[in-house]
Amino acid sequence: MRPAPPLLMLLPALVLLPVLALLPSQWHGGGGELIGRFLLAAVQPSLDPVVLRSIMGGLAVTLGMAFLGWSASLVLGLVLGAASSRTVWSTLSGHRWPAEALRRLLAIPRSVHELIWGLILLQLLGLQPVVAVLAIALPFGALVARVIADLLDTLPTHTLEALRGGGAPAPAALLTALGPPLLPGLLSYGGYRLECALRSATLLGVFGLGGLGTELRLTMQSLEFRELWSGLWLLLAVMLALETGVARLRRRWLMPSRLGLAGGGVGRRGREMVLALLALVPLGLVVARALGVEASALLRRPPLPALPPPDWAAVAALPWPALVAGTVVLTLVAACLAVGLAPLQWLLVAPWPAMKMLMRLGWALQRLWPPPLTALLLLFLLQPGLLTAALALGLHNLGILGRLLLESAVDSGAGRQQALLGAGSGPRQALLYGRLAPVANAYLAYGAYRADVMLRETVVVGLVGATGLGSQLMESLSSFAWDQILALVAVYALLTLLGEEISDRARHRLLEGKGQREREASQLNTSY
Amino acid sequence: MSTPVLELRGIRVPGRQDPRLDHVDLRLHPGERVALLGASGAGKSTLLAVANGLLKPAAGTVLWEGVPLARSRRARRRQQARIGTLWQDLRLIEELTVQQNLNAARLAHWGWPRTLLNLLVPLESDACAAVLRRLDLDPSLLGAPVGALSGGQRQRVAIARLLRQEPVLLLADEPLASLDPRLAADLLQLLLALASPPRALLLSLHRPDLLAGFDRAIGLRRGRVLFDRAVADVDGDLLAELYGGSGA
Repeated sequence: MRPAPPLLMLLPALVLLPVLALLPSQWHGGGGELIGRFLLAAVQPSLDPVVLRSIMGGLAVTLGMAFLGWSASLVLGLVLGAASSRTVWSTLSGHRWPAEALRRLLAIPRSVHELIWGLILLQLLGLQPVVAVLAIALPFGALVARVIADLLDTLPTHTLEALRGGGAPAPAALLTALGPPLLPGLLSYGGYRLECALRSATLLGVFGLGGLGTELRLTMQSLEFRELWSGLWLLLAVMLALETGVARLRRRWLMPSRLGLAGGGVGRRGREMVLALLALVPLGLVVARALGVEASALLRRPPLPALPPPDWAAVAALPWPALVAGTVVLTLVAACLAVGLAPLQWLLVAPWPAMKMLMRLGWALQRLWPPPLTALLLLFLLQPGLLTAALALGLHNLGILGRLLLESAVDSGAGRQQALLGAGSGPRQALLYGRLAPVANAYLAYGAYRADVMLRETVVVGLVGATGLGSQLMESLSSFAWDQILALVAVYALLTLLGEEISDRARHRLLEGKGQREREASQLNTSY
Repeated sequence: MSTPVLELRGIRVPGRQDPRLDHVDLRLHPGERVALLGASGAGKSTLLAVANGLLKPAAGTVLWEGVPLARSRRARRRQQARIGTLWQDLRLIEELTVQQNLNAARLAHWGWPRTLLNLLVPLESDACAAVLRRLDLDPSLLGAPVGALSGGQRQRVAIARLLRQEPVLLLADEPLASLDPRLAADLLQLLLALASPPRALLLSLHRPDLLAGFDRAIGLRRGRVLFDRAVADVDGDLLAELYGGSGA
């Protein structure tokens, strides 16, 4: 009695039952009037030129930080990715173990959330733009490196062998055989990462690293909701423009029409891709100058306060089992909410196109609205605690998963849905059987990966308290108890690596039986 | 004479330049088997889309069993459940089992409890086994995922789903294209046998040599009905005119 895929994708939504049951006990509703004002302000954002100028300035800084962090992560990822590829090492030296060793090592920066990087670097370097850039570049770089290495190692090697057999030197053969097939994957994934970078830069701002995020938080805390919405709508416009632009480039470069291929389009597209990559360098320099990011600033760091001697007894006295359990429960509840609600919401609005538009707008706002701000908003109505944190984290990821669900369902199952409608099924039934069934497994596989990301993200809602490792880390950071920070980050990283392993297995099980190509494609599009 | 199963009056569907259908009239009586002929682009698929209610014509009237498409959603669904379409690409749901696919044809009559339950446990096994047997398929296939079936089996499962829907109007858009000659002949016999009163069959065909079992043939050219007559009266000259090159 195994549930069929379309039913399986709805099951996580069952978490709503305990959540709704617990909600009344968490409800204080004290800020109901504030929520009303907040919602009302959405349709009357502030148009004051002074406000707009300051928001535009903040947005420019955030965009700059995102762009620089992202470019640096691409460079870092390319270099480290090549350096951790088994194919590259065995071609160059005949050994594979350096690749394996580097892979393991790179798991560490990857498993630490950019916010933790940001807050630690902030302590070390003081407040300067380069902190946010590095905080994005380091974990993102390690992620890109893993994707590149995986891509390199799954590419067919016969071209490489042929070139080597023909006497080409190893580096030249590698570049010729693996470079061109790598490029589309890199760009597709890189484009997606740029969107993530913008979200991260905004989030870092919320924690005081400058840019629009800082503005959003300040307006939120001073209850200037109309100004808050000016920033939000602007950010939404930028985010949607970016998503559309990336999607369009991806279509142009990765899904050429058959006519394009016949017309010798491959060479032109290749040149365009390489040029686009090269154009990033001067653009990066200009942006860095405008932002005032200097490499030399890294050396002029403020002197650290004298570190107190480590107090390992105090570290050991932290309630570790409760911290870990809290983090895991938070992750699971938030993940189930996000994964289950997206198809459920779609099913609910299926008969009404206007409602579907509204749902898409809601999702867009949810994914760009940083989770800690959602948490602050929820605090107007709810007690601080795990449930509030789970809702904030879940709603944010719902926006991301919802978009992915809509995108993946665009090109699958339209015919089947129509066939069912034509045979008299209702719009919701046709959606569930015809449209959702074909994408269910891939969607759940992505959900498993997303749960792993959410585990890392639990730190960003740590400020509502009682969320396990995240809130404890926030506390230790603010008191600069470096021994605790060290231990917490280590446990966090271990937990994340464990989660990654589990979600990898779940993904493989879900995609079992799919063709190898399909599996790779879905991994490329959705993973990391 | 009894009420036609399907009646089209003065149907017009605009296209980019020429209309895709123009002044099309058609009547289909219970038990009739009608073939739709015409060059590609003549409007066969458009006509079938109008006939199954998925495409609303810009002008003209469509009547199913004497009534137009109902306004209320519930009544419309009941109405559409009586129209069965065999799609060229079959449109089976690969991720579900044969039985779940067969039951998908009953969704028009099912509420949410059964819609969801069908995804968890096998429902109405006897009825499903019965339609499989009618198509010479082994009922043991019920639990198999559709993705694991052979091409011929899939064809038959798609027709079994159609039977499970219990329609009075059977529509099929070029079901024989992309099949080898033997499979095509078998399938055609099967479809013709299904069209016993009160059920009627309207099937678009790209091969005029397969007209034998039909009662009537309708020739479409550039969105207009060129002829509508008994199969015995369709001769070579008429076909030449239908498929003829310029012939303005």
